[in-house]
Amino acid sequence: MFEIKHTLCPSCSVGCGINVILDGEEIVGTFPYKRHPVNAGKNCLNGRNSIECCESKFEDIDSEKAIADASKEIKSCDSSEVSVICSGYDTIEEVEAIKNFAESNGFNIGFYSDDLKNVDDVASYDELAAAGKVFAIGDLLYENPLIGRRIVHAKQNDAKIYALSKNENAVTFNIADETSTSSVQEFLDKFAGEIDDSSVVVFNYVDEAGDLDKLESLSCKVLPVFSKPNTKGALGIVDPKSSDEMIELFDNTKLLLVFNDDITEDFDYDFGRISKIISFACCENDTTEIADIVVPVKSWLEQDGSFVNAMGDEQNFSSVIESDNLGIVEVIEELNK
Amino acid sequence: MSYVLAKSQNNEILEAGECGGAVTSILKYLLDEGLVDGVLALSPQDDVYDAFPVFVTDSEDLLKTAGSYHCAPTMIGDLVQKYFIDKKVAFTVKPCDMRAVEELITRHKINRDNIYMIGLNCGGTVSPVSGRKMIDLFYEANPDDVVSEEIDKGQFIIELADGSEEAVKIHDLENEGYGRRNNCQRCDVKIPRKANIACGNWGAEDGWTFIEINDEKGQELIDGAKKAGILETKSPSDAAVEGRSKVENIMIKMAKKNQDATYPTVSEMTEWSRCISCYACRDVCPICWCFENCELNKPYFKDEANIPPVPIAFQGVRLSHMSFSCVDCGQCDDVCPMDIPVSLIFDKLQKKYYDRTGYVAGVSDDIKPPLYSPEKTEL
Amino acid sequence: MSDDLKIVGLLCNWCCYGGADTAGTARMQYSPNIRIIRVMCSGRINPSMIFKAFQEGADGVFVGGCHIGDCHYDAGNYKWSRRSKIVEDILEEFGIEKERFRHEWISASEGEKFQRTMEEFHKTLTKLGPLELE
Ligand SMILES: Cc1cc2nc3c(=O)[nH]c(=O)nc-3n(C[C@H](O)[C@H](O)[C@H](O)COP(=O)(O)OP(=O)(O)OC[C@H]3O[C@@H](n4cnc5c(N)ncnc54)[C@H](O)[C@@H]3O)c2cc1C
Ligand code: SF4
Ligand code: SF4
Ligand code: SF4
Ligand code: SF4
Ligand code: FES
Repeated sequence: MFEIKHTLCPSCSVGCGINVILDGEEIVGTFPYKRHPVNAGKNCLNGRNSIECCESKFEDIDSEKAIADASKEIKSCDSSEVSVICSGYDTIEEVEAIKNFAESNGFNIGFYSDDLKNVDDVASYDELAAAGKVFAIGDLLYENPLIGRRIVHAKQNDAKIYALSKNENAVTFNIADETSTSSVQEFLDKFAGEIDDSSVVVFNYVDEAGDLDKLESLSCKVLPVFSKPNTKGALGIVDPKSSDEMIELFDNTKLLLVFNDDITEDFDYDFGRISKIISFACCENDTTEIADIVVPVKSWLEQDGSFVNAMGDEQNFSSVIESDNLGIVEVIEELNK
Repeated sequence: MSYVLAKSQNNEILEAGECGGAVTSILKYLLDEGLVDGVLALSPQDDVYDAFPVFVTDSEDLLKTAGSYHCAPTMIGDLVQKYFIDKKVAFTVKPCDMRAVEELITRHKINRDNIYMIGLNCGGTVSPVSGRKMIDLFYEANPDDVVSEEIDKGQFIIELADGSEEAVKIHDLENEGYGRRNNCQRCDVKIPRKANIACGNWGAEDGWTFIEINDEKGQELIDGAKKAGILETKSPSDAAVEGRSKVENIMIKMAKKNQDATYPTVSEMTEWSRCISCYACRDVCPICWCFENCELNKPYFKDEANIPPVPIAFQGVRLSHMSFSCVDCGQCDDVCPMDIPVSLIFDKLQKKYYDRTGYVAGVSDDIKPPLYSPEKTEL
Repeated sequence: MSDDLKIVGLLCNWCCYGGADTAGTARMQYSPNIRIIRVMCSGRINPSMIFKAFQEGADGVFVGGCHIGDCHYDAGNYKWSRRSKIVEDILEEFGIEKERFRHEWISASEGEKFQRTMEEFHKTLTKLGPLELE
């Protein structure tokens, strides 16, 4: 039967609400969630396409067997050579379970947060919209449109907009007063004198770790924006690794357990060097392609959970469809048996 | 066309209904008599700002759909078209919903024989998020305490849980950028006369719904619901009929004034430079129904290199396909992540088309030669 | 006449294309800026083709069809004529001068009318200069 249900968008860390349309058991479309305080019914293309993950589910994998196989592999490997990857795609509850799983078994844990880190006192979206000056690092209008919209609002409130992007055709440049394609360092140095306490610096990348220290030492509020929905939440639980540290981890790993992530997207690494990869995933991606074992798990559409968005709000969501698969938390329980 | 005042004979419905609960009663009648497979109406979810369409097949469930949700600017046309194509359904329509459905009927996307349209007069809808902010700013109330809203005598009135009411002049709210959505401020179709019936509070006594019966099917609905013992009716006084038409005209005049104030600025719009080619405006538009076959997806128009797109090659194409049928529902504005007032240009072009042909999208009976008919007339 | 103005001409096979041919055979001089695209009937032209031409860098777009009453497909030019009004309305909103878009009924024998029209159109565009789309 036709039904509309609330959920959250899993495409980035802004934390937009999205309604899905169900026709019987099948998700057939999205419907604007106009009451949601983050996005007022507006979703970017990625967000609206996020429901397509249902189209590439693993229909013909026997998940019981997959879990048994995975368990066997894990037990046959020296724990110091096992690495567990958790990601911003995992819910709070899942990250906690993954962390416990790794710690109690003596596995390494890898968590990559776009080379960004946790900042405790971030600017809220309202503060961004009310800023006197906005320093935007990354093409936020295009890449995180519902944060980009706050920059548009700031602009409408007469804020001065300074934009940095590696892409000289960045959409954000079109509303900016000052634009730059330099390094983050140069950008911050150049405008250091103009940053005051009415300013907000919003960024979705840095060039190097030093940039983060610089950003944190500014006299104004900052807002790091991540590419995955719960990176901020996971940062509160697990310490992140830089890309170099992640590569080092891969180098020392014989068995890699990837929980709901596509590591091939984030790292240009020859994963063939790792003897075994087990991917716990809800739908096909390049990591499941190269994995030796794929354990199907529930997608965010099929389970309850919570994500913490870029400004630090924890938002709960409930399952919109049923699934025969286990969630990551349950799979871990099985693996621990 | 004729007028009646109607009131539910069911106490629960009367209590829950906005006016006389007539709409809910008629929907109940349709379900109970098996005249439809189901009913599409709005039901509040987390609160009154959060209503969306639900499909009801058991009349017991209708109670949770009763009432008017002014902060729920939904669109029913594309849902009916996509998901109820071969079902018999009844649904409530604001004028913009009705107009979209009419346009889809002319495109053979909805079959008139399969549907009942229960019209609601509409003074305008408010976007939920900005509506809450508005209540926070302009009223002495907490938005969470509001149980219902109403637009009456030029005021936006909120009713609180304790039964008290607060009112602020719409004009003042809208001057400050709040109030009804921009397209609603321009909307000059206030009574949905292509629906089978048009229901409202204009001209109604307390506890009654004023109904304009628009066609035979509408008459059958009223007669049937009365016969089933769920609806009582009486004739409105001449003064009530007149008063209603007076308010309608005032509302239309107000809308025209807003049109005059906004259309000239369209060609100076600078907002397109922040368009991110997300296609949300197209995808939500009830008139853009081509889906995967959309010309914008064709290799010769797909332009991933240019973001923002060259407006003429993006919105220009859409405009040429359907602006003459734009029903000014404002859905495109609502969903645009970049807050581009997309509907403004579509609505303006429909008005230009009206100037050339006299055709009002979703309202006119006589379909003027559309762009692709073999008619031998020039504009 | 060696300027860079680009004119895209969408000409109906049965009339205006013939008109251009007649002008050519008779060695009538007209501006060489026009790139001709032959279509089977003006009724086949959609507004989006005009927009695409502008997007791709045309400074002016010309459409030539059969005189009203002469369309080989009966009513194609009526269709086109109605569409052309919409095109004008839309161009105006996006800041493209309506003079950059022109349409004319020209028969196969009217080589001279074709020549004259092209000359006029070229003159208009020269005055307007190259089209700058933001
Ligand atoms: C946004 C809005 C503005 C209105 N403005 C006016 C006005 O200016 N003048 C006037 O005379 N009447 C107006 N009305 C109509 C009036 O408020 C009552 O809905 C109508 O009189 C029917 O009353 P009732 O008691 O019979 O309806 P009820 O029995 O309470 O049933 C109302 C039905 O409408 C549906 N509904 C509620 N909100 C919406 C919505 N946003 N979109 C679509 N369906 C909805 C409900 O789900 C329910 O099925 C408006 C209604 C709405 C929804
Ligand atoms: S566009 Fe018109 S009919 Fe639709 S919600 Fe606004 S005022 Fe009501
Ligand atoms: S833009 Fe044109 S082709 Fe695309 S959906 Fe709309 S009407 Fe159809
Ligand atoms: S163009 Fe916008 S306002 Fe017009 S019908 Fe489509 S969605 Fe509604
Ligand atoms: S919704 Fe807005 S940003 Fe997206 S394509 Fe339409 S106009 Fe552009
Ligand atoms: S054949 Fe020339 S216009 Fe139709």
